[in-house]
Amino acid sequence: MSKVILKMQNITKYIFDAYGKPIHGTDVKILKDVNFDVHEAEVHILVGENGAGKSTLMKILGGIIPYDEGSMELFGQKVSFTNPRQSQEMGVGFIHQELNLCQNLNVAENLFLGRELSGRVFSNKKEMYKRSREMLMSLGFDIDPRTKVKNLSTAQQQIVEIVKVISYDSKLVIMDEPTASLTQAEIDHLFEIIRNMVKQGISVIYISHRFEELKEIGDRLTVLRDGSCVGTIDMKDFDHDKVVNMMVGRTLTKMYTCTHTPKENEILRVEDLRIGQGTEPVNIHVNAGEIVGIGGLVGAGRTELAKSIFGARKYFGGRITYLGEEIHGQTPRRMIEKGLMYLSEDRKIEGLVLPMDLVCNISLASLPRIFKNTYIKKDVEEKMAREMIGEIDVVCNSSRQLASTLSGGNQQKVALAKWLVTNPKLLILDEPTRGIDVNAKAEIYEIMDRLAGSGVGILMISSELPELIGMSDRIYIMKQGTISGELTDHKEFRQETILAYTI
Amino acid sequence: MGKKFIKDYGCVVIFFIICVIASIAIPRFLSFNNFMTIIKQASIPIIVCVAMTMVLMTGGIDLSLGYMIGLASIACGIFIKSMGMPIAVGILLTLLIGSAFGLLNGICIQLLHVPAFIATLGTGYIIYGIAQIISNGETVNHLPEAFLALGKTKVGPFTTTIFVSAVVCLIFYYVLHKSTFGRNLMAFGMNEAASHLSGVNTAFVNLAVYVISGVLSGIVGILLTIDVNCAQPTMGGGNYTFQVITGTVIGGANLYGGKGTIVGAIFGMLTLKVIANCINLANAPYYFVDAIMGVIILIAIILENVKNKKL
Repeated sequence: MSKVILKMQNITKYIFDAYGKPIHGTDVKILKDVNFDVHEAEVHILVGENGAGKSTLMKILGGIIPYDEGSMELFGQKVSFTNPRQSQEMGVGFIHQELNLCQNLNVAENLFLGRELSGRVFSNKKEMYKRSREMLMSLGFDIDPRTKVKNLSTAQQQIVEIVKVISYDSKLVIMDEPTASLTQAEIDHLFEIIRNMVKQGISVIYISHRFEELKEIGDRLTVLRDGSCVGTIDMKDFDHDKVVNMMVGRTLTKMYTCTHTPKENEILRVEDLRIGQGTEPVNIHVNAGEIVGIGGLVGAGRTELAKSIFGARKYFGGRITYLGEEIHGQTPRRMIEKGLMYLSEDRKIEGLVLPMDLVCNISLASLPRIFKNTYIKKDVEEKMAREMIGEIDVVCNSSRQLASTLSGGNQQKVALAKWLVTNPKLLILDEPTRGIDVNAKAEIYEIMDRLAGSGVGILMISSELPELIGMSDRIYIMKQGTISGELTDHKEFRQETILAYTI
Repeated sequence: MGKKFIKDYGCVVIFFIICVIASIAIPRFLSFNNFMTIIKQASIPIIVCVAMTMVLMTGGIDLSLGYMIGLASIACGIFIKSMGMPIAVGILLTLLIGSAFGLLNGICIQLLHVPAFIATLGTGYIIYGIAQIISNGETVNHLPEAFLALGKTKVGPFTTTIFVSAVVCLIFYYVLHKSTFGRNLMAFGMNEAASHLSGVNTAFVNLAVYVISGVLSGIVGILLTIDVNCAQPTMGGGNYTFQVITGTVIGGANLYGGKGTIVGAIFGMLTLKVIANCINLANAPYYFVDAIMGVIILIAIILENVKNKKL
């Protein structure tokens, strides 16, 4: 058995506010006697529903917040961090879900940020480029270190971040959902890099919601539920249902619900739409009660297509027919009036107004319809929001609590609730389940199925192949701004078939 | 409940605390006449505090507001006295000028993407220049009695000016806190992208607040002119703008957008006037007020940062 490099024992953390300060007068524990250890050169997977305590545990390890009880031993030394720097100096590298690179600097400048190599007067650029190149190449990543970070894809940026973390002599790297915005090809590359790291003796703690990939990369897996450690298993004994069971505390009957049947009448037809200057035209259609999936790589133009239809961005020619009527000069406001909604990809930036309460968020898109742009009847508004909160089961303390205080899955439900109260006829969902836990995912699928059953057309953009395959009645695949393939037969709905069209 | 009250109406609490301290420290403070003076002094700037609150809520700022007051003052003087227009027409034209410059601000900011700080600083100087040019640097005195009566008529212990101020506050209390426009304004200030994608007409909201600011500055220009019976291009000015921003910030609005209430606008300015009043009663040099305003605005922003845990 290999050496244990991290040993966390009976770690307990009381509830704290968003800044790590304890909340007085409460003794709610968000971590209860958690035991967690990591061996040398292993990939240890950490799973659990949103709010299970994964992030809190990792924040403790990363020195972002202190633990209240228990003990932590790192490389044989008892530690208790008070700031991230101490953790970093001990060899812990933390790759956050949101990348922390300076977009306007180039790769080398990012890698050497804060520790630039100096020449006689100015920084020694030549040497920095040379060393950056070596660092990148050591992970099999061939890229010019002079490239500005903003010109890299998300996957490439992630790799730069990994290189940066490793270059700090990290022996233990935490990756928080690194594949959330990556495509299959990029994930494969990332896994290769992780295997490389393990070969060099680095250990990785890997947090993910995507079950398909865990078996491929992990050595051991620990499940957290409600702040407690449910168990650690060897990946040799990995069983999908068993792990889900450990996570949710019950057997999840079915992930995908599919009881609806598409109808004949067409809701949306897009003809010869060009989403960019010089891109090939897009032709798609959606029927009532139909869930149409759009697959493809990030950057293939899926979000652009959705926003073009919704009127949130310009497009370059083409015809859009909605409910039998050709539409022009659309704006989000006009499309919402007509019953066409767009659930954005990023709920925190484009979906919710985080500092507003749930009621205000849910009613935001319905104000013109219900209150005719005049007086807001607070009781009517409250009633509508409460009903929707109950209907789709948003877990919250009060309908007047701020949207920012909800967990990811519940935030997504609130973002969806905003559209549900507007009585949509066509819903465009952009990555509807990104970064939310299995339970919430299953619930959102159920809502989608119910909507389709009531005749709502759904256009679902997704990077998760199982979701595309499990939920769609028909799948379009996009590539370089246009449709590269359409799958109409369920027999064709296979990962390989879809991938063949994406690349 | 108590916590929420303090969060929403902290400025009311601060106002009463300062009043209590002032009553203890300065014996002459606590008198009916002194309070009437404070209310009278605050009533006019409160009108533009309301406007500034709405502008700050969008995350913008209106630095042209004080200069607009000067232009409104001299414009209504010229319209009503020099050109002999009917009073109603003169006032309407003045407010039209206010809304036109407000619209100009809005267009620069919303459509041409000039940062609000620079846009309104620029238009502010344009407005100041125009006011000086049309007045030839002179003032217009001895305005018609009927015009002066609009603000100076006494109803009980109050003049009509205070009623104008109260009506403006009531109207905008409804607009900001009860109407869909106010809700859209709040959402816009907190998250522009999400509001736009939720069907909020963000361009309209952003244009509207500057037009409102222009019109309310026009009203204040007219009321100040009536107050001193003299139309002058130097009325208001940059110092006035700063005073209004300070009052608004005391009232709980911040420069990051999304926050602000009408009650805050009222009590923010009242607090500022109480402080000025104390300095006056204590026979300290008036310039203390300027210095204190600078201190207040810095402390208010720092406190806001502490509250948001940025510090």
